[in-house]
Amino acid sequence: MKLSARQLCFFLAAVAPAGKLVLMPSQLAALTGNDLLFPVLLQILVQAGLVFCVLLLGRSGRTVYASLADMVGTFAAKALCILFAAFLLFAAFVPLVEQKLLVQSLFYDTLPSYVAFAPFFLFSAYLCTRPLAAMGRVWDILAPVFLVGMLGILLLSVWSADYGALAPVGAAGASGFGRSFAYTQGWFFDAALLLPLVGKFHYRKGLAWKGALCYLLGGMILLAFLATYYGVFADIAVTQLFAFAHMSKYFSGITAMGRIDYLFIFAVAFVMTFYVTMPVHGAVETISEAFGRTKPLSAILSVGFNGVLLALLLIFNFSPSETIAAITERAFWIFPSFAAGVPLLLLLIFAVRHVTERRRHAN
Amino acid sequence: MKNVNANGKESAAALKKLLPAQDILQFTFSDAAGREYICFFADAITDKDLLGEQVFRPLMGYAGEPETKEVAAHVTAPEVRTERALEKLAAEVLAGNPVLLWEGMDDGLIVGTKKVPMRAVMEPPTDVAIKGPREGFVEDVKVNTALVRKRLKTGELKIEFLTVGRRSQTSVALCWLEGTSPNETVGSIRKKLNAIDIDALPDSSYLTRFLSDRPHALIKQVGTTEKPDIFCAKIAEGRVGVLADGSPIALTLPYMLVEDFQSGEDYFVPAPRATFTRFLRLFALLVAIYLPAFYIASQLFKLQLLPVKLLLTIAGSIQDIPLSPSLEMLLVLLVLEILNEASIRMPKYVGMALSVVGALVLGETAVSAGFVSTPAIIIVAFSGIGLYAVPNLIEETSVLRLAMLLVAGSVGTYGIILLSALVLVYLVSTENYGVPLVAPFAPFIRRDLKDALVKFNLVSLKERPASLNSPNRRRQK
Repeated sequence: MKLSARQLCFFLAAVAPAGKLVLMPSQLAALTGNDLLFPVLLQILVQAGLVFCVLLLGRSGRTVYASLADMVGTFAAKALCILFAAFLLFAAFVPLVEQKLLVQSLFYDTLPSYVAFAPFFLFSAYLCTRPLAAMGRVWDILAPVFLVGMLGILLLSVWSADYGALAPVGAAGASGFGRSFAYTQGWFFDAALLLPLVGKFHYRKGLAWKGALCYLLGGMILLAFLATYYGVFADIAVTQLFAFAHMSKYFSGITAMGRIDYLFIFAVAFVMTFYVTMPVHGAVETISEAFGRTKPLSAILSVGFNGVLLALLLIFNFSPSETIAAITERAFWIFPSFAAGVPLLLLLIFAVRHVTERRRHAN
Repeated sequence: MKNVNANGKESAAALKKLLPAQDILQFTFSDAAGREYICFFADAITDKDLLGEQVFRPLMGYAGEPETKEVAAHVTAPEVRTERALEKLAAEVLAGNPVLLWEGMDDGLIVGTKKVPMRAVMEPPTDVAIKGPREGFVEDVKVNTALVRKRLKTGELKIEFLTVGRRSQTSVALCWLEGTSPNETVGSIRKKLNAIDIDALPDSSYLTRFLSDRPHALIKQVGTTEKPDIFCAKIAEGRVGVLADGSPIALTLPYMLVEDFQSGEDYFVPAPRATFTRFLRLFALLVAIYLPAFYIASQLFKLQLLPVKLLLTIAGSIQDIPLSPSLEMLLVLLVLEILNEASIRMPKYVGMALSVVGALVLGETAVSAGFVSTPAIIIVAFSGIGLYAVPNLIEETSVLRLAMLLVAGSVGTYGIILLSALVLVYLVSTENYGVPLVAPFAPFIRRDLKDALVKFNLVSLKERPASLNSPNRRRQK
C-alpha cells in the first residue's frame, strides 16, 4: 500500500520540524547570536528545493533502487543502496544522541541509568518492521499533535519573549553565517529521508510543489519557534539546551496551575520520538528494497540496525557533546553530499535519459 | 436408513433411534380412516396447545388420501414444511418443531409450533438511553430479526440464516442491505461463518474471534450492540450485522474504534451537546489510562509535573506508607479490579453489601491503617469511573492502564510516551475487512470527520462514511 500525497505533506509540514528543536537552537545561538534565523531560513529554502526534486523523482512511480538498477546494473545499484543506508544510519546518530540527552533531562528529575533510553530501540525496531502504510497513518495523527503542542508552547512563551533581542541584524557577519549554515547541516537532511519513499507514494499533479510548500510551512513554524526562543532567553540562549521544554515555564499561570505546559511539551516530544526513527526506518526500507522485500529480512535488518545504534550509543555514552560536535562540525560535509547530491544527481540522470529518449522517438 | 418411507412405524423407529433423549416425546393418534399418526416433539419447547388445536384436532376428522400434500392441506398451522431426510427431521424436533409420520406418507411433516421460553424485549442493562428507543435484543434470533425488520422495512434488507456449531446447531443470521454493504465484505463474512468448525456456540462473542482478520489482536475488531436501533443504523451505514441464536449481543462489521465513542443518544440530542459528550468520553478514557501512570511517574521520576502545593499535600500523605508508590498503586488497582469483578458476578443484594465493604472497610480503613495513601485511592477511583465512560472498551483499556502503570513505575514518563507510541503504531496498523481501525483519523478522511468526535448536524450527514467503502455513498438528498 502506497503513501498518500496528504501524508507526505503532513510529514513535511508537521513532523520534520520536530527534529530540529533540541540542541540546534543553542548551537545556532552560539554561532550566530541574534542572527540565528538567517542560516535556518537558507537551510529551509535549500531543503524545500531538494524536497521538490525528490518528489519529482516519484513521478515515474519507480523506486530509486529500480531506477538505479536500470542505469548501472543490479550489483552497482545494491552497492549504492548499502552506501545510502550507511549514510542514513550515520545521520540517525545526531537525533538519537539528542533524544537521549533530552530524555535524561526532561523526563527525570533524578539522574536515570544510562540504559533508561534503551527501550526506545525496542519501539524503533517494531516500527521499522511495520508496513509503510502504518508510517503514513502515524503522520496523519502526528501532524495535529505537533501543531497543537507547538502552538501551545509558543502561546505560553510569547508573553515572556522580547523580539527586540533579534536586532540588530547582521552582527554575526559572513563567517558566522557561513559556519552556522555548515554546522547545522546535520539537522537538515529531510530530502534524504524522502528518497527511500520514492515510488512508494501516489504521485499526483503538483505534488512536488505542494510538498515544497508544506516544507516551507513547517520551516516557518521552526523560524517562529527560534525567534521566540531567542526572544525569551536572549543573551543566555547559548546555555539553554532543550529550550522547547523550558521556554514556556515563565508563563504566569504556571505558578498557580503547575506545569500545564508539559502537556504541550510531551506532545512535541511524542512527535520527536517518531522523527528519530525515520533515518533507521529509511535505512531498513532502502536495504529491503534492494535485497528483496521479505518479512524476515525486514525484521533482521530492523533488529540489527537498532542493535548497532544502541551499541554505539552506549559506547559514546559519556561524551555526547563531543560526538555531536564531531558529526556536525567536522563531518558536516557528508550530509549535503547525500541529502543534496543524491537527489540532484538522480534528477540529472533522469532528465538526460528523458531528453535522449525523446530525441530518439523524434528521429 | 437415511430417509423416511411409506412405512410409518419403521420410519418412526428410525427417528426414535436418532432421538433417544427422554424429553423427546412421542404421541400416537388415529384419523377418521383409522390411519395411525406418530408425532415427535420436544417437551417444554413445543406449544402443545397449538399442536393439539392446529394439528391433532383437524387430522382426527380427516379420512382422505395418505399423501403428504393432502395431509398438510388439512393441518391449520401456518408454518408447515415437508422433509425426507431423517437427520433433518431430528434436527427440527430438537429445535422445537414437531414432526409427524404416518402410514403411506412420502415425506415427514414439520409443523412450526416452537415455543421457546424467553424473556421479553426490554431495555438492555448495558446500554441505557435517556432519550431514544429502549428496545433491546433478546436471546431468540427470530425475535431479533423481527426487531431489525421492523426498523428496516425494505426488500434490500437481506437476512441469511446459517447454522454454526456441530452439536449446538445454532442459527446465525447474517444481515445486510443489498447495494449498500460492499459485496466483498458480505461474501468474506459468509465464508468465515461457513468455515467455523466448533462443537457449540453458546454466545455471539464466540463468533468474534472467527470473524476477526487478526484473531490474536490485542484490541477488539468486531462492533457489538444490544440495541436494534443502533444495529439498524450501522447496517444502514453499510456495515454487515450478525445475530446469533441464544445471544442478545449483535455483532457489526467492519469495526472502527470511533464507534465506541459514539452512543445512540448522540443522534437524539443537539449536535454541539453530542460533540461535547464524545470529547468527554475521550477525555475520561485518557484519564482512566494515563492518570495512575502519570501519578506514579511524577512521584518517582519527575516531581515537577505536579504543582508545588499539591506536591506538598501528596508528600504529607505518603510519608508513612510502607509500600513503594508503584506497588501501592498496583495494589489499589488490583483491589478495584477484584471488587469490580465480584460485584458484577454477585447477587444484587450481596453486591450492595460488597460495595459498603469495598468503600468503607477497604478504602477508609486501609488509609487510616496507613497501608495506602488517600491520593492513591482518589486517583484509582477517578480512573475507575473514567473507564466506564466508554463501556465497550473496558477490557482493552483496563489492560492498557495496567501496562502503563508498570511502565511508569519502571521507566517513568518516557516509558509512558514510548508505550503510547507503540500502541499508536499497533492501532494504525490494524485493519478489518479492509477498513482501518483508527479511520477516519488515520488514514485521515476529512468527509468522515462529520460524525467522528465532532458531531455535525444530521442534515449535514448526506453521505455514508467513506471508510466503509459502501457502493451506495449517498444516504440523503
